[in-house]
Amino acid sequence: MFQVDLKSKPQPAFDLLRLPLIGSLLKQRHSRTLLQLPLFIVSAAMILHGLFGPQLAPRNLATTLTWVHFRGALILVLLLAGNFFCLACPFMLVRNFARKFARPTRNWPRYLRNKWLAIGLFVLMLFVYEWFDLWASPWWTAWLIVSYFAGALLIDSVFKHATFCKWVCPIGQFNFVASTISPLEVAVRDQDVCARCTTKDCIRGVREPAAPLVTIQRGCELALFQPRKVGNIDCTFCLDCVHACPHENVGIISRLPATELVNNSLRSGLGFLSKRKDLAALAIVFAFGALLNAFAMVSPVYVVEQWLAQRFRVTTEAPVLATVFGLFLVLEPLVLLGLAAWITKAWGGVKRSGLSLAVRYSYSLVPIGFGIWLAHYSFHFLTGLFTFIPVTQAAVAELGPPILGQPQWTFVGLPINVVHVFEAGCVVLGLLGSWLTSYLLAATDETPRPARAFIPWATVSLLIASAAFWVMSQPMEMRGLVLGSG
Amino acid sequence: MWLAVVQGCREHTTAAPLNLTYEVSPVPARVGDVTITIKLTDVSGKAVAGARVTLEGNMSHAGMAPVFAEAKEIGPGRYQSRITLTMAGDWYVIAHATLPDGRTLDQQFEIKEVAPA
Repeated sequence: MFQVDLKSKPQPAFDLLRLPLIGSLLKQRHSRTLLQLPLFIVSAAMILHGLFGPQLAPRNLATTLTWVHFRGALILVLLLAGNFFCLACPFMLVRNFARKFARPTRNWPRYLRNKWLAIGLFVLMLFVYEWFDLWASPWWTAWLIVSYFAGALLIDSVFKHATFCKWVCPIGQFNFVASTISPLEVAVRDQDVCARCTTKDCIRGVREPAAPLVTIQRGCELALFQPRKVGNIDCTFCLDCVHACPHENVGIISRLPATELVNNSLRSGLGFLSKRKDLAALAIVFAFGALLNAFAMVSPVYVVEQWLAQRFRVTTEAPVLATVFGLFLVLEPLVLLGLAAWITKAWGGVKRSGLSLAVRYSYSLVPIGFGIWLAHYSFHFLTGLFTFIPVTQAAVAELGPPILGQPQWTFVGLPINVVHVFEAGCVVLGLLGSWLTSYLLAATDETPRPARAFIPWATVSLLIASAAFWVMSQPMEMRGLVLGSG
Repeated sequence: MWLAVVQGCREHTTAAPLNLTYEVSPVPARVGDVTITIKLTDVSGKAVAGARVTLEGNMSHAGMAPVFAEAKEIGPGRYQSRITLTMAGDWYVIAHATLPDGRTLDQQFEIKEVAPA
């Protein structure tokens, strides 16, 4: 039988921090600020243009950069490297600046130290996106960016550590789940060095020798103790541990993508994945939300919504949209995962509760979810790759002389038919990743008949992938919903 | 069917306001070629002939390829163009008109709910 040893770590083949230029840059103490500053400036420009610029989405920096470039670059960087957006997050720049003047004193309430609130906000984010047609509204997009800055500032002004990142930020949760697929991980280079370490600066921070209460370099604010950290979940790549470690024993190290989804060892700051119902729910929302978000772009969604509106006799979109969300994010996962868990028990002979099985195997849906998000976001990114050029040219021209030249509105991106091939590849690779993850879960969990445990979950992934292909085959239709029109 | 009257010059106007009305055919519009007819008049209702009119169509979502077309004058103050709508959904068309006297007019109007082909 195929054996996988997930505990032994092979000698790292690649460490980003050992590269001559990038490594040296990232190891600088203020490297994070250096990366955050450009994104902060761009964010400020997006807010101003969103609020005061032209309100036609393709001509506004807020909508163009947010919904075309940011989302696409984010998912591609997650695929090719790791959670580098959180590293360069501009919201944290403002929060860090504010903390120079007032330090928070409170701890995040114990009953909120889970992902349920963040899952709710993630779903709310997806809901608001559809309800307010955010893709078409520079004004609302600008306010969304403002609300992220305000939320991060407010929460982290009151509560200690990285409360906003770990327990609240919807983008952060998306990145945490998606980065399980990433090929790079902030990890210890040599466990023996950690075993001999007495200061544990990576978690405690570096203190001023003469004044031990004064921290001169933060340790991990997300409570991830490097020697016991497993994978990328909850890691913002902030590199505080890298800067704090006196032995230079933390790197950004290559690993096999998605294997952490199978690893059920005790994780610092997280516990056991198999016992985290909230993380499992996040993985489920991540996977089915990908399908929902893509479905909302194609013509059949309007037929479904019109039909629901007629059945409910309503002319407002919110209840109709809430029903669609309920079907996709609650009913569909309940039915599919419930059936898969029942078959795994009955046919595979696994003597665990259905809920426990659903929690364990829900992580196998992350790769297919990632594949669909990647297909969707990279579609917009690649087909609109160069659109930031004329939009920026026009924005500069609105302020004065067109120093960047006249807007070249014909600059668009790659042809749609080329991008469709890439999209299909993303979904296929996601499906293969989910199948492999399901099989590894079945094979490593002392399942009596691994193949019989594998098949139901592989079928769930296949159904999701098939639905994604169906969505991709439908005509795209991007518009607001007018109910009662037929 | 004449769908709307849009009044006034929003940008680069150097003289009195103009009226711009437009007609889209077929109704409802579908993905593919649609014909847009623009009628330009001054405030007294007199047709404005001899203008150069170009059209630019954008989707409501950023990042989609805009489509461009030049309109031909088919009668005094009446300009017609075929434009290819490449995707279903809401389209925003910007009509750029340059009058013989040098005045320019940029005016935006919507083609809502363009249906799939």
